Amino acid sequence: MKIDPSFIWAAFVNLMSAIPTTLLITAVSVTAGFMIGLIAAFARIYKVPVLSQIATAYVTFIRGTPMLTHLLLIYFGLPVLVDALSAQMGWGFKSSSIPMIWFAFISFSITAGAYMSEVIRSGLLAVNRGQLEAAYSIGMTTWQALRRIVFPQALAVSLPNLSNSVIGMLHGSTLAFTVSVVDINAQAQIVASTNWKFFESYLAAAAIFWGLTLLIERLTAIIERRINLYNRGGVA
Amino acid sequence: MIQLTDISKSYGKNVVLKSIDLTVNKGEVVVILGPSGSGKTTLLRCVNYLEKPNGGEIAIGDYRVQCKRATKKEIHELRQRSAMVFQQYNLFKHKTAIENVMEGLVVVKKMPKAEARLKSIALLEKVGLADKLDAYPSQLSGGQQQRVGIARALALEPEVILFDEPTSALDPELVGEVLAVIRKIAKEGITMIVVTHEMGFARDVANHVVFMDEGVIVEQGPPSELFHNPREERTKQFLKRITPELNYSI
Amino acid sequence: MGAPFDYSYVFSFLPKLLSTLGVTMLIVAGSLLVGIVAGFLVALPRLYRIPVLNAFSMVYISFFRGTPILIQLFLFYYGLPEILKLVHIDLSRAPVMVFVILTYGLHTGAFMSEMIRASVTAVDRGQVEAAYAMGMKGHQAFLRIVLPQALAIAVPVFSNMVIALLKDTSLAFTLGLMEMTGKAQTLGNITQHFIEAYLALAFIYLVISFTLEKLLLRAERRLMRHEVPESAARKRFRVQEKLSYRRIIAGIRPEKGGAEL
Repeated sequence: MKIDPSFIWAAFVNLMSAIPTTLLITAVSVTAGFMIGLIAAFARIYKVPVLSQIATAYVTFIRGTPMLTHLLLIYFGLPVLVDALSAQMGWGFKSSSIPMIWFAFISFSITAGAYMSEVIRSGLLAVNRGQLEAAYSIGMTTWQALRRIVFPQALAVSLPNLSNSVIGMLHGSTLAFTVSVVDINAQAQIVASTNWKFFESYLAAAAIFWGLTLLIERLTAIIERRINLYNRGGVA
Repeated sequence: MIQLTDISKSYGKNVVLKSIDLTVNKGEVVVILGPSGSGKTTLLRCVNYLEKPNGGEIAIGDYRVQCKRATKKEIHELRQRSAMVFQQYNLFKHKTAIENVMEGLVVVKKMPKAEARLKSIALLEKVGLADKLDAYPSQLSGGQQQRVGIARALALEPEVILFDEPTSALDPELVGEVLAVIRKIAKEGITMIVVTHEMGFARDVANHVVFMDEGVIVEQGPPSELFHNPREERTKQFLKRITPELNYSI
Repeated sequence: MGAPFDYSYVFSFLPKLLSTLGVTMLIVAGSLLVGIVAGFLVALPRLYRIPVLNAFSMVYISFFRGTPILIQLFLFYYGLPEILKLVHIDLSRAPVMVFVILTYGLHTGAFMSEMIRASVTAVDRGQVEAAYAMGMKGHQAFLRIVLPQALAIAVPVFSNMVIALLKDTSLAFTLGLMEMTGKAQTLGNITQHFIEAYLALAFIYLVISFTLEKLLLRAERRLMRHEVPESAARKRFRVQEKLSYRRIIAGIRPEKGGAEL
């Protein structure tokens, strides 16, 4: 076996077709994860009974176990639950009709939710309490204070972490191959084994991921510059 | 005796010190005054080479160093002959008060630990912190931290102690305790160069006052002369702005 | 899909999975070792701004942080033997474990170097000046003053990194290495009790993460004993401090690890 540089380009072009799938999985898991994270974070900050304990257990479990186990548990466990429920209710719905990619969506969203909740929570807690008090002092309601004062500041603080979470989910989406979803990684495996050119294929895949990651970081930097205008300079 | 000859320093095109000459006799307390940006702190930091002068000569006692071609070893020697008290205290954060004082004795002077400990206790007593031996810097007030800083400098028995605005970072009510300690050790005949804004202190304690502006020494002399009878216009203006009577802040 | 759920399998799988715990921990320990060495080698040119090497370090870090670990595993497993063949080193008989530890090690090294750099630069410049002013030499100032403080700053990040590494090792099965996840898969295939196998697997990971976290937290408390214990008067101040730590941690991707609450 010899390294074939020209094949790297061929593989690269071939892998491009799988970029949308990877981006879709990433986008869905980040968006859904953000919403789950928001709920979990608020449940814990406001110490909502029961809900906050559930949120804590959820975050602990997810952060203490590999993302792969979440995917495998959903892949094998969800159909059992769905079928049982369906039989109970007489829906006539079969778990086998769930598209494979949905397992990735659901599982990765659950994973992302736990990490996002930590990002959101630390962002909210980083906002000085005095900011909220000042908002109350000029007569704002809690909702107004959160929306106009706390959230924007929390967002600015959490932006680097959020960006890292997005990158984490982008990289994590490579696990989708275990449930037969053809993302960039799975496509690279296919290209590699059909042409018997493993190194070249994975090199191309690595290049794509590297590029996407740099793109996310660049975008974050741009947003950060706009969002953090108020935070610039000042006394050390 | 400390002798600075023709010390100059610039950052790129920005000239901070223009050929400074300064002599400090043994046992003398020299106070350097001047508006901010006058180069006084830079001059002080040149003495122990925390800032690298572009040219000139530094002598502490009989040890002379040509600034342009100072070797690592020479710089190290200069630093062993001097000690510094910093504006921001710079106590080692991960060491207790007594460990801070012992550190130089044990590591630099190679003194046995037991001996260093006894000496450090005595010094901390002297600065009035006998009850804070095992406190970490984060558990001390600014004034207490600075007094540990002074004990740390004293421990090394240097030929000169350099004070870089030792009270500028302190809350007003804590300035007094630190100045009292510096006053006390000044009376013991330790050679000191002090950069400060405390006019009252300069007048009472200094043997010699140096007024700097824009990188040069404008005027120097005994405090009685410099404060009551300044010759230079720039000195007069500076003193008019910062007389102790008007030196209050909002 | 598979046999009906039977929780007793979860318990019977636990000891079987634990029999491969050694393999998982070997990967973690080996990679940490490689990672620390690589991390230091990569961090030094950046800390001291050594011209060409600095650029190399930046590319190294960018690559290992910018691509998924799974891709890196395949890349090294398939690519390294071919590249080394060009210089006549035959790796075709090297055990898979070598590739796995090397890949995880280099991957961790990238994060480790960022951790080292961030922690060292986070130590106040005045600390070094004070050390120099009292006559310490460069290495004395580094070893006695900078390093202990940098270590204290680094521990929480390090803790996250170790746990992230532990979790990442679950991917080593893709190269056919029989560590815990691989074992769980096999058990599932044999018995058709997949859910139970993966539940047992998740439980073991959870316990290890939790234990590691607690151990490292204890180390952190020890190293941080010079910080003021939480008191009402200083609380506001501490929030600010934590904020800056968070910035450091943010640069190193905390979401990769941590069972911390």
